[in-house]
Amino acid sequence: MKEFLLDSPVTDGFFDYLRNFGKVESLPDVGEGFYKFEKPDCFSIKGFAGDTTVEVRFKKEVMDLTADFVYLLFSTYKGEGEKVDLSVLKRREEAVGERVRKRLYGA
Amino acid sequence: MVVRFLKQMSAGERPLIYLNNAATSWPKPPGVMEAIAQSLSLPVFGSGRTTGTQGEDYITRARESLSALLGADTPENLVFTHNATDSLNILISGFLAGIKGECHVLTTALDHNSVLRPLYEYDQQHRICLDIIPFEGCSIRPEAAEAAIRPDTRLMVMTHGSNVLGSVQDIRAIGNILHEHGIYFIVDGAQTAGHIPVGLRDLPVDAFIFTGHKGLLGVPGTGGFFLRDPEAIAPVRFGGTGTDSFSLLHPRGMPERFEIGTHNYPGLAALAAGVEFIRATGMESIMEKAERQTAFLIRQLKEESNITIYNEHPDLPIIAFNIRGLQNDDVGFMLARGFNIIARTGLHCAPLVHRAIDGGEGCVRLSLSWNTTDEECRIAAEAIRRIAGNADSTVGQA
Repeated sequence: MKEFLLDSPVTDGFFDYLRNFGKVESLPDVGEGFYKFEKPDCFSIKGFAGDTTVEVRFKKEVMDLTADFVYLLFSTYKGEGEKVDLSVLKRREEAVGERVRKRLYGA
Repeated sequence: MVVRFLKQMSAGERPLIYLNNAATSWPKPPGVMEAIAQSLSLPVFGSGRTTGTQGEDYITRARESLSALLGADTPENLVFTHNATDSLNILISGFLAGIKGECHVLTTALDHNSVLRPLYEYDQQHRICLDIIPFEGCSIRPEAAEAAIRPDTRLMVMTHGSNVLGSVQDIRAIGNILHEHGIYFIVDGAQTAGHIPVGLRDLPVDAFIFTGHKGLLGVPGTGGFFLRDPEAIAPVRFGGTGTDSFSLLHPRGMPERFEIGTHNYPGLAALAAGVEFIRATGMESIMEKAERQTAFLIRQLKEESNITIYNEHPDLPIIAFNIRGLQNDDVGFMLARGFNIIARTGLHCAPLVHRAIDGGEGCVRLSLSWNTTDEECRIAAEAIRRIAGNADSTVGQA
């Protein structure tokens, strides 16, 4: 488990953006809104909107394959209203996913 | 968005509400912290280990105070170790060292890994044949213990109070049955010492384990056991004791038989202070407050239909629950980050309990101490109810 300190508070928009890459669950009326993003077999990100910290849990066996992608998810997001080019991220996601599958399931 | 650096958990702005006392109690009474500072303000005093005469004999003080609290007549039969797990390893290994061949051993599904893992190791090595007695409701029925006895049963090790369900077990009834069959009885009191009266004087228990950092309000790194007949357990660790130093054989007298090396003086000073605080406060007051606050929290949690409480009538200030639609780990995260309330989630080192109550998924545990305030209970109840009120109960756990 890693605790990430960000340069600005996480927002609902950030978790909306993460929906492009996995499942997001939320309890918007708890605190400023609790969010949990899950990318099965890879990692999860949990946090409250308005906080500058999030908790990232990596699947240990493939952390070396997925950590860079997590950083890319954070660094690519520029904030509310800023358009993100998802095509690059999607290609990267696919490549990482293939390596993870090979490592975990041999296929 | 830039990840600046990795950090440790921060306390946040709200006042910290600590409800993880079944793991380690906090805060400590002021006297405990003063005792640690005091113990370090002078050189260590220890008979046979220094020519100095200054300082306080914290070891004797801790031994005598704790013996009085636990109702034991022979303070020298109270042994200090590093913690409860250390004690269990010494006792289980020491008992089995005196048994030739394989024997049958009993434990329970309520027990902690500190009991289960040493026993499973010996089971794997074919030193013992282990049977686990299941619980009914939240308890081990004495009849179930009796039914599990075989002609070759030599030992039973079980918890006094469940660290998940908060249920205190009828060790008197079980001990009487075991003793009728000549079975040695080790009881793990990690969760009960300091919370309820123990009364070792007339309990049919051969060895009773305690730890310093939970209900006894001391610090981590202290624990021990009371042993009725020291000859029943072979010493399994040997070394310096500060006594009888010409002998190359380890002394067999008590408590040197089991206490090796330099003691944890600051830890035992803290333990003595913690025990003295409990005795001064009075067990009745401690129990009354714990019962009242636990009942309040349970009443509050029961107001939410999607909260499952695994024991609505615990004997100890321990509340285990899940919120339908949420992972226990996520509830713990929300309590910690959203409300600065520290609980514990997961399996609590008691996998067999969870296999029985929640399919092995784990749960959220709140555990109180004398230092928990009514206001903290109110805030915690409100936070949990708020989380439960927002959960999508159609998905997820429990």
